[in-house]
Amino acid sequence: MDNREAKFILNAYRPGGQDASDPRFADALEQARRDPILERWFSESIAFDAAMTEKLRAAEVPPDLRETILAGVKASRPLRWSKPFIKLAIAAALISMAILSSLIWHETRRAPLAEWQNQALDVVSSLVRNESSFDAQSHNADELLVWLRANHAPAAQKLPDNLGKLESIGCKTFSWNGIPVSVICFMRRDGGLIHLVTMNASAASDRAIRRKANLVQRGDWSTATWREGDIIYMLALEGSPDQLRTYLL
Amino acid sequence: MSEIDFQQLVDRYYAPLYRFALSLSRSEVDAADLTQQTFFLWASKGNQLRDRSKARSWLFTTLYREFLSRRRHEVCFPKVELDDVREQEMSISPTVNAFDRATVLQALREVEEPFRAPLTLFYLEQFSYQEIADVLEVPAGTVMSRLSRGKALLRQRLLSKKEVLENKVVAFQSDKGKESHG
Repeated sequence: MDNREAKFILNAYRPGGQDASDPRFADALEQARRDPILERWFSESIAFDAAMTEKLRAAEVPPDLRETILAGVKASRPLRWSKPFIKLAIAAALISMAILSSLIWHETRRAPLAEWQNQALDVVSSLVRNESSFDAQSHNADELLVWLRANHAPAAQKLPDNLGKLESIGCKTFSWNGIPVSVICFMRRDGGLIHLVTMNASAASDRAIRRKANLVQRGDWSTATWREGDIIYMLALEGSPDQLRTYLL
Repeated sequence: MSEIDFQQLVDRYYAPLYRFALSLSRSEVDAADLTQQTFFLWASKGNQLRDRSKARSWLFTTLYREFLSRRRHEVCFPKVELDDVREQEMSISPTVNAFDRATVLQALREVEEPFRAPLTLFYLEQFSYQEIADVLEVPAGTVMSRLSRGKALLRQRLLSKKEVLENKVVAFQSDKGKESHG
C-alpha cells in the first residue's frame, strides 16, 4: 500500500477513533505509524475533521422547530373524540339538520356566488349530510389550522373572535380548478353548524372581493365573503344573515 | 410507537437532521420543511420499521430521498463528473478554526451535492463509511471515494475564502497607501 492509497482510506476514518478496530483501516493505520510524512498528514487530517465536526454541530437550529414538528405530527394523526356523548350529539344534530333541510326545501333563485363558492357549499353540504368525511378531526381549531398548514392547504392567519370561541369538528381540503381550498366546520352554541372556507387570494378569479364582508343569501345558506391580505374567507351557515353577522365580530 | 417514544425520537434527531438538511438545501426554510416532512413520514410509515436500532439510518435516508425527490422538480444542478474532480494537495490544510461557523457552513454548501451529503453525515453524526453507504444507498467504496474527493473540495473552498479575506485586507491597505501619498 502506498501513501496515496492509505490517504484515500484514512479519509473515511472518523476523528473520534470509532474505526480503530475496523480491519479495513488496519493496513492504512499501520502505514501511517511507519511513515512520518503520512503520520503528520493523518494527524492534520484528524484535526481538520474534528474542527469541522465542531463547527457544523454549532449551526443554529430554529428555536421553534421541535414544537412545530410535534404539533404538526400530532395534528396529522386521525384524532379521536374525547367524549362519546359529544359525538352522538353532533351526529344527531347532523341527521336532524339533513331531515329539516329536506322538509323545508323550497325553490330558490341562484344567488350571485362565484363558482368556487358554490363548489365550497356543495362540499360543506356533503359533510353535513354525512356523504363525505373530514380529513382531520379535532375540537380545537388551532390543531386543525396546524394540520392544514402542515399539508400545504390554505389556513386562516387568525380566526374572527366569536368563531374562535366555538368548538371545531373537523376540516377538509378540496380543489377548485386545481386550486387548493380548505374548510373548517364548527359547532354553534344553538346546535347548528358554521363553516369557514379559506382560499389564497392570488388564486381567486373574483377580484372584487374586499376587506369588508359581503353577505349573500343562497337558498337556506347565508354566506359572508371577505379578504384579508392574501387570503379570501367565506363563512357559511344554514340560517339568516343576522345569525351569520354575530360570527364576523 | 407511543407519543413519549416519538417525542424522544424527535428530541434526539431533529437538530442533526435539520443540520443535514441545511447542508443539502439552499435555505433555512427548506431545511426546516425537510426535517418536518421526515418526521411526518416517520409518523405515517416509520412504525413499519421492526428494528428500532435502525431508526437513525431510516430518518437520514428518508430526508435524503425527500431532498432528491424535491430537487428533481427544481432547476438541475450543474452536473459534476465525479472522476473529473482533481485531487488537491493534501498538505495544504487551512485551519478550520480560523473561520466562523457560517463561513464553514457556506464552504460546505458550495461543495457539489454528491460529495456534500457524505461529508455532512461524516462530520455531523460521525456516521461510518458503511452507515453513509446505507443512508445514501451507494457502495461503500463510492463513499470512501466521495469522502476523499469531498474533503479535497472542501479544503479548496475554504482556501478560496481565506484568499478573499486576505485580498480584502490588501485592498484596504492599498487605498490607505494612496491617501497618504496624495
